[in-house]
Amino acid sequence: MFDVIGKKRWFFAFSLLITIPGLIFILLTPFSGGQAGLKFSIDYTGGTTWSIKFADASVTTEQVRDELVALGQADASVALTGKGFFDIRLSKLDLRHVEPAPTAVPTLAPAPTAEPSPAASGSPAPSASVEPSAEPSGSPEPTAIPGAITQVPTEGEIGRIATGLQTALGPISEQAQLSSIGAVVSSDLINQAIVLILVGSLGILGWITLRFRDVKMGVTALVALIHDVIVVLGVFAILGTLFDVEIDGLFVTAMLTVIGFSVHDTIVVFDRVRENRVRHAGEPFAEIVNHSLLQTFGRSVTTSFTVVLTLTALLLFGGSATEEFVLALLIGIVSGTYSSIFNASPLLVVWQEWEDRRHGRRSGPTAVRRASA
Amino acid sequence: MRRFLPLVIIAVGLAAIAIDFAPLDRPFSDPAVKIDTRLGLDLQGGLRGEYRALPANGVGVSTDGLANIRTIIENRINQYGVAEPIVQTQGSDRIVVEIPGVTNEQDVRSLIGSTGRLDFVPIPTSLSVNQGQPMDLITATTCPAGGVVTTICILFSGDQLDSATIGQDERGNTAVNFVLKDAGQRLFSEWTAGHVNEQFAIVLDSTIISAPVIQGPITGGNVQITSGSIGGFPQAEAKQLVDVLRFGALPFPVEELSSDTIAPTLGREFLDRSILAGGIAVGLVLIFMLLHYRLPGAVAGLALMYYALVLFAVFRLIPVTLTLAGIAGFVLSVGMAVDANILIFERSKEELRLGKSLPQAIEAGFSRAWNSILDSNVSSLITASILYFFGSSVIQGFALVLILGVLVSMFTAITVTRTLLRLIVAREWARKARLYGISESEFTYRPTGRVRREVAPRV
Repeated sequence: MFDVIGKKRWFFAFSLLITIPGLIFILLTPFSGGQAGLKFSIDYTGGTTWSIKFADASVTTEQVRDELVALGQADASVALTGKGFFDIRLSKLDLRHVEPAPTAVPTLAPAPTAEPSPAASGSPAPSASVEPSAEPSGSPEPTAIPGAITQVPTEGEIGRIATGLQTALGPISEQAQLSSIGAVVSSDLINQAIVLILVGSLGILGWITLRFRDVKMGVTALVALIHDVIVVLGVFAILGTLFDVEIDGLFVTAMLTVIGFSVHDTIVVFDRVRENRVRHAGEPFAEIVNHSLLQTFGRSVTTSFTVVLTLTALLLFGGSATEEFVLALLIGIVSGTYSSIFNASPLLVVWQEWEDRRHGRRSGPTAVRRASA
Repeated sequence: MRRFLPLVIIAVGLAAIAIDFAPLDRPFSDPAVKIDTRLGLDLQGGLRGEYRALPANGVGVSTDGLANIRTIIENRINQYGVAEPIVQTQGSDRIVVEIPGVTNEQDVRSLIGSTGRLDFVPIPTSLSVNQGQPMDLITATTCPAGGVVTTICILFSGDQLDSATIGQDERGNTAVNFVLKDAGQRLFSEWTAGHVNEQFAIVLDSTIISAPVIQGPITGGNVQITSGSIGGFPQAEAKQLVDVLRFGALPFPVEELSSDTIAPTLGREFLDRSILAGGIAVGLVLIFMLLHYRLPGAVAGLALMYYALVLFAVFRLIPVTLTLAGIAGFVLSVGMAVDANILIFERSKEELRLGKSLPQAIEAGFSRAWNSILDSNVSSLITASILYFFGSSVIQGFALVLILGVLVSMFTAITVTRTLLRLIVAREWARKARLYGISESEFTYRPTGRVRREVAPRV
């Protein structure tokens, strides 16, 4: 019979082996000034992504980049995608600025309601002194009808760049996407991500502790989760350094989903530990846990396998828009299965045995006690 | 209760199929709206923008003010006649605009974002102005009391406008009527009394949109602008002027925080790819379950298809807007939905090997696995709820799909599977070891002496 608990040092060592390089790359992020470590999408950094196609199919990535540099966009990055679209990333924003407001005039809440109110018949009416002619430029023009191709910008900074590109490289025939995100939204997102991951982890800690009436199980499940978060972040830090794989706004969603899902396997094992503790009262805790692990091993792997199956299908056939999101989920769920079996349960044994030694007795099913941690 | 379960399951299934495929009207909707699948902007293309209202003249953005901005922006967009624009307030100062299918987003964005500052400006007699002429009001101040002006000043602003409509003058010509609120009414009354035959300008964003001559004192706050053209204003021009008067001015300037335009063709491509990937994913899971668990696997497969039908119906009914991430969540939930079945079947196998009869083993499988299933699903619900309550709208879409998926799967993977299995194992043909993927000896093993004692080897 395979002794997982007996070999726990090896599994801990393996976990360290895969988390430490990742951690190093994560920590490189703030120190390398963005040269290494996690690469953030414009969701976090602010900026513009722009996906366009030129009528002239022979335009190359270098030409586009050179032209952008000539237009003053030295930090622009350009990538050619499958269907002849250039994905351009700029630090410049394509956002409308606030117009300078005229001074004075109190702003009570005005109510531009739409109720018809006929003018009193007796009131004198000023007549227009001139023939109304020129179009009021600031007013709404109810003319545009949605067409097949989105407008290539002509206004603002991006409009200037678009005009410059078209002058040099010929007309832009199609625009697939134009996204611009300002610094306000970005900082919101970073705060949000941190809060979400913290609250999510605490939620799981609370729930497991409550359901199993054992803070040790809650904490070890949490440690396994943190392991998974570090693994996913670490892999993305390495991929970001080597292949410029970016973390986007959905990444935090993937992290939370991983947190919620990877605890499933831990729960299955702990549930069996709880059951076996009663059945095999008096046997060493390590053996009970090992036995429970082996009993549930098959289903832990199988449940994760079905999810891995669906995610792999999404990764291979789902297209590029959700690639990073699905990859994060996939890594997290595989890591979650590993950490449930090889980290959470062995840690539980270590803690229980340490506690038993401290209380000066051998293990037993009654040794459920609040730990000070 | 157990007797009625098959009926409940059939009823729910039929209702789900009807909602999924029949052109039904949405309940409690007036006017009648068809139940449809809502697709997010990333799947159908369109424009999404996030705006922040800024304090004006030292006055912070109020809840009413924000609601006002929302209404004005909505009205501005509605002029374009685009399908189902969504304009929502978010937090204390944010407005999120989503316009599906729009491609002239540059025009729409300048329209949304324009502060639309509307001012009423008396023109000094030394000047003469025309409609369409620019007028810089950045340095202009409020007009001094007393009624004599030599420079450009602002008498009052758009906030004093109560309403504006297209009307007719006494000769039946098209004119534009508008009504002023109390303060504006008083100011205008005082001004017009002393300045008959002088020009007066209505200025939107530093452009004169109308410059009528005052015909006489206007005391009641009801103002009419007529045109010297034959028949009065052309209808389109009158409407434009009314629109400007009504929707021209935002009470607070808005700043564009983010903007995202996706071409409809790209959205369509995303949608097609997601559906393809989802179909492949579901197919793979079905095949795996069938190969690995045989008869129960087939039952789980049926339950899974039932799950997909019901969940899709729930999405259409609520309605849940499906985004790219939402579809990924849907596919992911398919993988998770069979997890409960896997736990149950594994436990049932275990119980079979311990010597229980088939029906006993299946019942034990369900009851013993229940704790793990509940705890697992609740932990998923915890994280998904956190995403839902604290996340941005894109994240919320994914979280809602996951939450509904977990809830629906609790019903389908447990109740539906159990009911089907109970019906099936009652049949003679279903009692064969190979249908369950275990050996004949395990299938027929019955313990002799010690009952309910595990036979698994000890370490």
